[in-house]
Amino acid sequence: MWKLVLPVLCLIVLLLGVGLMEPAAPKADLVVINRGDCNTLDVQRMSWLQDFRVAAALYEGLLTADRFSTSNEKLPGVAESWTVSEDGLTYTFHFRKDAKWSNGKPVTPEDFRYSWRRALLPDLANDYATLFRLIEGGAEFYSWREEELKRFEAESAGVPRPVESQRLWQETLRRFDETVGLTAPDARTLAVRLARPVAYFTEMLVFEAFFPIYPPVVERFEQPSPVTGRLEFSSEWSRPPLLVSNGRFKLASWRFKRDMLIVRNEHYWNQSDIHANSILMPSVSDPNAQVMAFQTGTVDWLTDVVPDYRAEMIEAKEAFYREHWDEYQKLKARGLDPIAIDRRLPPDPRKNIHVFPTFGTYWYNFNCLPTLPDGRMNPMADAKVRRALSMVVDKRNIVENIRRSGETVAQTIIPPGSIAGYESPAGLGFNVEAARVLLAEAGYPAGAGLPVIEILFNRDGGHDLIAQAIKRDWEMNLGVSVRLVQKESKVLRNDLKGRKFMVSRGSWFGDYGDPTTFLDVNRSDDNNNDRGYFSSEFDEMMKASDAERDPAQRMALLAKAEALLIAEDLPLMPIFHYTSTMLFDADKISGVSPLPRQKQDFGLLGKLGENSGANTKASITPREIPVPGSAGLKPVPGNVPPSAAWPPSSREGN
Amino acid sequence: MIRLILARLAQLPLILLVIYTATLFLAWQIPGSPLDTPEARRPPEEVIRAMEAQYNLDSFWSFYWSYLDNASGVRAAREYITGDAARQLQAARDAGRPVLQRRFFDFGPSLQYEDWRVSEIISASLPVSVAIGSLAIVIATLVGVSAGVVGAVKPGSALDAATFVIALIGVSLPSFVTGTVLLILFPVTLGWGSIGKLESPADLVLPAITLSLPFAAYIARLTRMGMIEALGADYVRTARAKGVSASGVLFRHALKNAGLPVLSYLGPATALAVTGSFVVERLFSLPGMGQHFVNAVLNKDLFLIIGVVLVFAVLLVMLNLVVDVLYRWIDPRIS
Repeated sequence: MWKLVLPVLCLIVLLLGVGLMEPAAPKADLVVINRGDCNTLDVQRMSWLQDFRVAAALYEGLLTADRFSTSNEKLPGVAESWTVSEDGLTYTFHFRKDAKWSNGKPVTPEDFRYSWRRALLPDLANDYATLFRLIEGGAEFYSWREEELKRFEAESAGVPRPVESQRLWQETLRRFDETVGLTAPDARTLAVRLARPVAYFTEMLVFEAFFPIYPPVVERFEQPSPVTGRLEFSSEWSRPPLLVSNGRFKLASWRFKRDMLIVRNEHYWNQSDIHANSILMPSVSDPNAQVMAFQTGTVDWLTDVVPDYRAEMIEAKEAFYREHWDEYQKLKARGLDPIAIDRRLPPDPRKNIHVFPTFGTYWYNFNCLPTLPDGRMNPMADAKVRRALSMVVDKRNIVENIRRSGETVAQTIIPPGSIAGYESPAGLGFNVEAARVLLAEAGYPAGAGLPVIEILFNRDGGHDLIAQAIKRDWEMNLGVSVRLVQKESKVLRNDLKGRKFMVSRGSWFGDYGDPTTFLDVNRSDDNNNDRGYFSSEFDEMMKASDAERDPAQRMALLAKAEALLIAEDLPLMPIFHYTSTMLFDADKISGVSPLPRQKQDFGLLGKLGENSGANTKASITPREIPVPGSAGLKPVPGNVPPSAAWPPSSREGN
Repeated sequence: MIRLILARLAQLPLILLVIYTATLFLAWQIPGSPLDTPEARRPPEEVIRAMEAQYNLDSFWSFYWSYLDNASGVRAAREYITGDAARQLQAARDAGRPVLQRRFFDFGPSLQYEDWRVSEIISASLPVSVAIGSLAIVIATLVGVSAGVVGAVKPGSALDAATFVIALIGVSLPSFVTGTVLLILFPVTLGWGSIGKLESPADLVLPAITLSLPFAAYIARLTRMGMIEALGADYVRTARAKGVSASGVLFRHALKNAGLPVLSYLGPATALAVTGSFVVERLFSLPGMGQHFVNAVLNKDLFLIIGVVLVFAVLLVMLNLVVDVLYRWIDPRIS
């Protein structure tokens, strides 16, 4: 008998061993669930939203974005001041004396040159390399290096050549110094020369890909391969204690799929602007477990609420507002932002859910090629058909009955009010009569003769419900027939890339605060132009805006270009502007911005109330968006209030 | 016995090679590019080319050989023997540059969790899965065997029917239901335990119970069948006739034979349990290995897919070997 029990006993011993090895989770001032888990802390390789949020806390660029200003204002960062030359080509940044890395060493212009050079290397395969090509000589440097690598690999034919590979690397460094418009005239000045004037260059500087990394450590983890000449990387420097950063926080621990802990960086130049000593980010990926973790008080902020019952939670908050309707209206009339309103209303667990507009739009792509890749005639090639189809979709039904997440109906690609000084053009609106006329003009009266329209979408995320609603609208209003094609998301991506579709779902989130971040995807030569939309008229307009030096004129040109897309050519049909849904108690944390910038900055977070661990001496006054016209604050010209996603507005209709 | 162990161990590399080839062949067929970034954004063509070159993704065979070269340690050994490693070191020193430390067995980077190597991911997640899995197997064995014995003592009685119903529920209820019920009952309603944290060994109990139920149910049925058969056997009658007590007959004589099928089931069951469960890990937010079996395939993270499959294969082979050895040791009739 004991022989049978022995294996079980062995298992118990093994179990105890593993259980005892388990280290305790760290404690922190604030606990945030940041989507699932971070993928990388290497700013030049990032592309996920959750990584950008942490990067904003760990690193600091030359300039920083004011997340509480509707006018896209830039604040000094590592650079305390900057000048732009007469021709708009040369930017000179003067570094602050006390800009320090988390190990106390000064942040130098050389650190930026190193980081940006890294971003420009084909070796790193950086997603955002194109942004760096705006720097003079950048594009040429990239292609030169690519050619050299190809040659080197062919020459070595599999045989290692360590000496030559080091020589090629030295040559690359020399080439960069000589040809790329990035110079450091002295130890505290960085001069950037652009290939052409870029009106939104300062917008890009606050984008995380332009943040610096610490060269002395990162250098130790890269080495030219003796066979291919390509720089080989290891990301092991992105863990504590190796990761050195220059932002408000530094990395204290990162355990894979468990948690990440960031703590105050004592060497940051503006200590009074750090409002928490530590932030813990546990890795919880199940949507339901995330909500339960918030409700049981384990977590202070859940950044993305995505369980099935989200709409019910939002409805509960609407009910809460209705109970306090007069007070709510009064606060809203004062021009307060949604978080400020919540702080002034009585405490209630229902108000913990928050819906804010984002910098993103959900749309449908129309394939504009005359024939589909499989040889079939493509009815979507006719702009009249695309216009007709866009005018009969009941977008409000989709927003109110399918999404139910406080989104706003979209007639434009760029969320209105998200970019200061940009006046969104008018879209097409809902008009069945006009649409029928258009369809008849295109040669398909009452849909006769029009081939079956195929809508391509992927399984998850409720895209099927939206596709069904659109199918019904098109069939009922125009008499056309529609087939739904559902594919796995990787297959959908592939089909989009090969333009193997008639109509498909699509979406876009902006990277930096300029209209080009949305409009560029429709340029003929853009790699994300899935629609096969080749319009010389549009390309000319975009080129003209590139050349325009007057900001207001430039914005007007871009608005005209967007108007061409959404009222004339319709390569895509905007459906709604995304919102983001969060769970936090507005009375307990500060630093969350309700503005339509998708990226939150974890470096701004603070804890309010008695238990504000970090700041027991000075209590934090939560930052709120300045109310236009209120005492002491000048209204900013061109200041458009953020499109009020909360409570769902019914102003913008079909 | 020693020969058995040695023979099995000698087979292991061949088994792994076959599994690697089959896995890579299947994973290569997954549609889409492993380099796709989220949010529908596509990097420029030249960046995609650069990425493919970096990870040898341009063709099946270049990936096949380079992975084999790195993961098996052949490359590291070759570079050491031919002196390439030393030459590289010298060239870097001459150029005044640091040298990258490389692993002997290099299982590659994860394409999705860009900052982590596959070996790091496995060494971080396997212990968690082993802890939960072995606890689940212990629970399943204790619960399953006792339920099986109880049912077998009086076949057809109400007690037998009750264990049958419980076993049926255990097998048929998916773990996302049992897990959610446990979560709502204990941490949310009663305030026992926590959600989204793995702080103390006590946090392993709920997930282990959830994971154990289907195994327990299966073990209960196996034990019951074995016990009924054994209790009707001649040697049991002989033991009874000799005046052995009722419990002595049950545990000393019958269970010893009835336990053998359970033991042979425990091998693969343990391998399955200790490599983690996607559903249980997701529900309880555990950093185990099971999630990678699913996520890596969805992301077409080739390096990670192969890594976790190979770990599973090694565990399965080793545990089957352990079971075979135990078998011979417990039951001298088998040789």
